[in-house]
Amino acid sequence: MNVTYNWLKEFVDFDAMPDELAELLTMLGLEVESMAKLGAGLDDVVVALVEEKRQHPNADKLSVCRVNNGKEVLDVVCGAQNFKQGDTVALAQIGAVLPGDFKIKKSKIRGEESCGMLCSEKELGLADESAGIMVLSPTIAPLGTPIFAALGRKDTIFEIGLTPNRSDCLSVIGIARDIAAKLGLKLKYPQSTLVEGNEKVDSVIGVTVENPDLCPRYAARYISGCTIAPSPEWLVKRLNDIGIRSINNVVDVTNLIMMEAGQPLHAFDCDRLSGKRIVVRTATEGEQFTTLDNQQRVLTSADLVICDAERPVALAGVMGGLNSEIENTTTSILLESAFFKPAAIRKTSKRLGLHTESSHRFERGIDIDGVGRALDRAASLIVELAGGVMANGSLDVYPGKSDRAAIMFRPEKANELIGIYLDRDVIINILTRLECRVSHNADGSIAVIPPHYRIDIEREIDLIEEIARLNGYDKIPATMPIARVVSDRPTRHQEIEKRVRDLLVNNGMTEIINFSFTGPDAAGKLLLSEDDPRRTAIKLANPLVDEQSVMRTTLLPGLLDTTARNMNFRSLDLKLFEMRRVYLPGEGESMPREPLCIVGAITGSRDGDGWSRPNELVDFFDAKGLVEIVLDVLDIGGVSWVTENPESYFHPGKSCRVFAGREHIGSVGELHPLVQKNFEIEKPVFCFELDFEKLVKLSRTKITVTAPSRFPDSTRDIAMLVSEDLAAAKIIECVRAEKSKEIEHVQIFDVYRGKGVPEGHKSIAVRIRYRSFDRTLAEEEISALHKKIITNLTDKLKVTLR
Amino acid sequence: MREQLEQLRNGALQAIATASSVEQLQDIRISLLGRKGELTALMKGLGSLSAEERPIVGQLVNAVRDGIESALGAAIESAQEKVIAARLQSERIDTSLPGRRPLKGTKHPVTLVIEEICSIFAGLGFAVAEGPEIEHDWYNFEALNFPPEHPARDMQDTFFVENNLLLRTHTSPVQIRTMLKQKPPVRIIAPGTVYRCDSDATHSPMFHQIEGLMVDTKVTFGDLKGILTVFTNQLFGQKTGVRLRPSYFPFTEPSAEVDIACVICGGKGCRVCKNSGWLEILGAGMVDPEVYRHVQYDAENISGFAFGMGIERIAMLKYGISDMRLLFENDVRFLQQF
Repeated sequence: MNVTYNWLKEFVDFDAMPDELAELLTMLGLEVESMAKLGAGLDDVVVALVEEKRQHPNADKLSVCRVNNGKEVLDVVCGAQNFKQGDTVALAQIGAVLPGDFKIKKSKIRGEESCGMLCSEKELGLADESAGIMVLSPTIAPLGTPIFAALGRKDTIFEIGLTPNRSDCLSVIGIARDIAAKLGLKLKYPQSTLVEGNEKVDSVIGVTVENPDLCPRYAARYISGCTIAPSPEWLVKRLNDIGIRSINNVVDVTNLIMMEAGQPLHAFDCDRLSGKRIVVRTATEGEQFTTLDNQQRVLTSADLVICDAERPVALAGVMGGLNSEIENTTTSILLESAFFKPAAIRKTSKRLGLHTESSHRFERGIDIDGVGRALDRAASLIVELAGGVMANGSLDVYPGKSDRAAIMFRPEKANELIGIYLDRDVIINILTRLECRVSHNADGSIAVIPPHYRIDIEREIDLIEEIARLNGYDKIPATMPIARVVSDRPTRHQEIEKRVRDLLVNNGMTEIINFSFTGPDAAGKLLLSEDDPRRTAIKLANPLVDEQSVMRTTLLPGLLDTTARNMNFRSLDLKLFEMRRVYLPGEGESMPREPLCIVGAITGSRDGDGWSRPNELVDFFDAKGLVEIVLDVLDIGGVSWVTENPESYFHPGKSCRVFAGREHIGSVGELHPLVQKNFEIEKPVFCFELDFEKLVKLSRTKITVTAPSRFPDSTRDIAMLVSEDLAAAKIIECVRAEKSKEIEHVQIFDVYRGKGVPEGHKSIAVRIRYRSFDRTLAEEEISALHKKIITNLTDKLKVTLR
Repeated sequence: MREQLEQLRNGALQAIATASSVEQLQDIRISLLGRKGELTALMKGLGSLSAEERPIVGQLVNAVRDGIESALGAAIESAQEKVIAARLQSERIDTSLPGRRPLKGTKHPVTLVIEEICSIFAGLGFAVAEGPEIEHDWYNFEALNFPPEHPARDMQDTFFVENNLLLRTHTSPVQIRTMLKQKPPVRIIAPGTVYRCDSDATHSPMFHQIEGLMVDTKVTFGDLKGILTVFTNQLFGQKTGVRLRPSYFPFTEPSAEVDIACVICGGKGCRVCKNSGWLEILGAGMVDPEVYRHVQYDAENISGFAFGMGIERIAMLKYGISDMRLLFENDVRFLQQF
């Protein structure tokens, strides 16, 4: 909502300067989002007199003028032809900055010095077009007066961001009313003097409302014999200032009164209304209608239309029709002022995507009581500007007219909730300033009838808010609440989430956050099989773009896109993870599930570029190690690494799925070369994914410790040749199968292929540390145990000792 | 024997004095005091002496041995010191070479801000609550007093999915879910991801909010002001000015927009605060009785406040991020700065 300082001042006589007024409005909840001062920076453009005008010696089309600015006489070169010696003009002096950041400097034009510029209206931003410079009335103002002050155009335009509840402030009067209430000043409502003819209005026009529930009030007046013409300058400027283009005197009046009073009005060319009648009804299903913007609209039975005797002539509260609009030849006018049901207007406007100044007001709710006042004011102004005769009386269909119900209001409740102490008198004074009618109940409460235009005030709490607002939020003391103590430690889920995130970050991983929606092709890029449940995603009904149209079922695509993007910027050593929800459709009617997942990707050099070590690249085992440490920290037992049925997006020979007992908790692997290609990733990437919800379920949070043994250890190594397809884990398993308490630790410390190792084989070296909890182990004891282990290995796994 | 001991001592001291390394000194020790050493051999000979001589010579042997031991000890210590001194003299590394450091991991700035805010409110006794991102219209709108066809719904452009579900447009539905589950006193803070059907330089279709809710007996609007003042001072530094001004949210009344004195210019006016000196950082208000009605709380006997803020906005102000898109591009050159 745009409103100007001068316009507000017509209705309430405040002292505040524009900056103070902006602050006052903002603190009233009418937030000033921007302020434009007309003529700001143009104080150096002043009224001046052309004392002498002569031909430029070196240019036919230029003249050189001696211009008096009240203090001195300056030489100015000018190219315009539309003025003469003795004219009063607008002089932009050196230092002035014209709209468009055009700085006026001293210059030489074709050899003649020029100390300024004579301005046109266009150059001063006063008009879109202008022919030649501005020639002012000789008596406009003393020489040297800044031009905007001289023209009476010094004004400030406020752009106010209104909250949806304050429909009463969608007008200049509405905003002025709030200022008056805040400052305790009197509001000067505009007075209209109705000059009516003899012809009775109901002898010319008629109004029938078929749906009073959707149109509780419809009022109209009739004016004949008027002349459509351009509006006077004051009206054009007033509308221009708040961003409305002038059309003609009649339409401009309807717009002016809408901005002034908040009542949308519509003027029909009455001669084009069949039967000179108005019928308000709902449209028939599929009914077609062409609105003023020349768009053919197909209507539904929920749309309210204004019709003449035969056909729709306006889309109620939204836009008029092309078939009855005011034209230059129009002479008789039916002026409409009505109240339409907000929800109905909103439905129509939303469905048609047709949002107008009118629909904006109707759907928020206008002042039903002001319908007639606005009609009278507009009608008299039309007669004033366009001539003609107003018929006697108005038609006003308002069957449900009633007073508003009183609200029971307790001043002490207001004080209690706000946390302030205001006297009853102060509170009543505030309510009175808001034009509420106040009476006292026997129980000490107050009965308050709010004004019609404050449709947002319906309950006691609404009045409490008004007390806080008018008294000022800044006057409320900041206090600390007195609260009951409750126990509120983080949930297990929250604690583990933080623990895992911290763990990954402390292991050099960088956290990323991608959008929760992705493109429909993400599943395909991961080569997921047709029956993979991750192909079933929740779709958005109204996505912004296709790439953000389905809720993600896996975090991998985002992670891989991020990897590719960073690689494109030559960040090649990456350790990324994301820990976010995925979205899985619920069964039948149940809510979707949103489990938290973890994915990670690593690629490039293991330690960054070092100077002292060979630059080693990360591999599968770095990714696996990250999974291991997470599982270790969460104390998840029974972990197995299953190579069967690898995930489609991983290299089948370099990946595995991770199980804890029977629960599939994640996977780890090198990215499948085709997937790598699908995501346009240049180098191998190693990824892991973990189902966080399962981790929470499986994590053993109870810690039980064993005291370390105080006896010495003994370490023995076994080097063996094994078949290439024997998993290393089997060897450890086999060693561990000898369930001796004395086997403290088993570790694979070397895997070797090459010289001395036959084809199809590998050499694996295992280190076993023996130690007892209750004694120093004797050499013979260890040897016997070790021998048994070796026998197990050779018998069960057919390994060959080296 | 006496002479022999005397000789041995002199010889030994001589040898110790001329020895040049710890190793030589160790050799001397072995050759004299070791199992087959000269002095050891002499001591073995003590047995052949008469009973009168034995204690006297014994004493002498002990004295010689102690003398040699202490000379050896001193010499070894000094030789070791020399060795260390020589090492210290000769060993030099270029400490200007970069250290071999573990890779630095970082949390996403959104996570950092959420953690910081949650920890400030944890200190004020607020528990962290969560809720689904794919929500029912009822929790996201109706229970929060946004009736169907209400213009207030225009404040939040909504993404819809099937079954009357939508992507929550704010974290406020967590208020409803919490109040339906528990009776007052309620003190929660609810961080989360939210969605609006809007995308440009200052709007992202996905962003994050933190919601706060406190309901108890006799909670006042002044208390809301107090809590938010403490919070903003903790988050942006002591004495950050706070201003509440009237606003409108369907689920609170009275409602307020909360501004802080511009953290860039300190309130003098700059481009970031559009010369106003103030930055809008959150919306707040007293919980509307209509909301209590939906969760079956008795509005007459309890009161409370709610507030909500955008995490990205706070991250941008706190870290001087100029473009919201940086937060979701996940460029490691950006993320590694946190």
